[in-house]
Amino acid sequence: MEEAKRDEEQSKQQQIWSWGAGTEGQLGTGKLEDEYLPQLLHLPFLSSAESISTLACGGAHVIALTSGRRVFTWGRGTTGQLGHGEMLNSLYPKPVSSLQSYVITQVSAGWSHSGFVSDIGLLFTCGDGSFGQLGQGDYRSQSTPVKVDYFTNNFVNQIACGMRHSLVLLNGNQVYGFGSGKRGQLGISRDKIKSINLPQVTCGLEDVQIVSISANGDHSAAISADGHLYTWGRGFAGTSDANFPQLSLSSLRCTEAALGWNHGILLTGDEEVLMLGGNYHGVLCDLEKMSAVKHRPDSSGVALNEVIGLDGVKVVKIAAGAEHSALVTVDGAIKTWGWGEHGQLGLGNTNDQTIPQTVSLSPDIQNKEASLNVYCGSGFTFAIRSLSVNPDNISRN
Amino acid sequence: MSYDDVEIEDMEWNEELQAFTYPCPCGDLFQITKDDLRLGEEIARCPSCSLYITVVYNQEDFLGDNDKSKKKNLEPAKQLPISWILLLMIKVLFGYAD
Repeated sequence: MEEAKRDEEQSKQQQIWSWGAGTEGQLGTGKLEDEYLPQLLHLPFLSSAESISTLACGGAHVIALTSGRRVFTWGRGTTGQLGHGEMLNSLYPKPVSSLQSYVITQVSAGWSHSGFVSDIGLLFTCGDGSFGQLGQGDYRSQSTPVKVDYFTNNFVNQIACGMRHSLVLLNGNQVYGFGSGKRGQLGISRDKIKSINLPQVTCGLEDVQIVSISANGDHSAAISADGHLYTWGRGFAGTSDANFPQLSLSSLRCTEAALGWNHGILLTGDEEVLMLGGNYHGVLCDLEKMSAVKHRPDSSGVALNEVIGLDGVKVVKIAAGAEHSALVTVDGAIKTWGWGEHGQLGLGNTNDQTIPQTVSLSPDIQNKEASLNVYCGSGFTFAIRSLSVNPDNISRN
Repeated sequence: MSYDDVEIEDMEWNEELQAFTYPCPCGDLFQITKDDLRLGEEIARCPSCSLYITVVYNQEDFLGDNDKSKKKNLEPAKQLPISWILLLMIKVLFGYAD
């Protein structure tokens, strides 16, 4: 019996844990409680051959894409963000049935809305539309994913959902914004834009080849093919808002950006992590303790800081919640820091941390072929450990 | 320390909670009622955590609202036109005889 159980455990190709704020069912634990330690999830909806390929975590909901190309959502659904055709929370992962006839390849979860991109470049949105963040030409909320007709003749590559705005990256390189624009997060006009409900081109990126976009809170960011980071929207660490994309420190080669509500973290080509802003809430990182050498204010006033306490350990993944951050090191450790009141750091308590702390995942498997990934919602965190067949796939993509 | 300063126009009226709300980073909502605003309260709290925001608004805007809602919700009987009262009396007196 005992042995059979162990065999079953070992044959599993994937383990999923969640922790942090859970009162909307966003942890997928089947309970409406905060969890201070990583909880190993049992997800019977996945067939034995199916695994989760990516997660998107929002204000209090989660979107999962499976290897079987299915879309599942759970957590808060009161504005339709789960896409189940109703305005109700879901304690357990449920399939988004209206997307079954499409192959969804990329998803994003905002504060209370969701975006889905298909393999043929179609964009679907659902959830809260009261700021125009669904891009449907109105201010209505939708409880089922609706195709964004504006892009009918375009191939959508990516969607990024923030608190009340959305960004879209087209195959043809343009970045579009829609929804609330009060802090400049749409990047579409020099004048103050309250909100727009149809996509409009973000200014200043027309001649730049953008490869990825991100949005959270009232922040927006894009990374170019040559590794340049552009940010716009709400200013970091008390700096003024930017109505247009600002180039941050052109000497930096950036591979990934993750935004919070008052900070951002960047992964560089050297597998180093840098932080934008971060001292706003006083808990994300202690600026005074940061290496002075690495404090590099650039022309736009955006200060980039090294994250202390990593001691040169290389990093392969980053994620940011509203006020906390997480990363995966090259040697397979998950570290978290920032605001911890809901247990979102997974350290067994509600303390804040200014220095990245190692999260222990149970059961611990010392398997060099296991790849780890981490995802942050506003006040919660998910970790996924997958056993990849090919060791070359370890933690990188 | 206040997490943020938020203008009342950036807050959303939530019918269910009967409060103006704004997203809290924990996932819940900062909340402040019209009564709070009438009294000059500036702090909107999150019921799930220790964070709070400072609401930027003009108290006078809500003092006016006070009168309106009072008339609408609390003293409807006094506002009923005579014809309605007569109609009601007729209904009460003769309605059951039908």
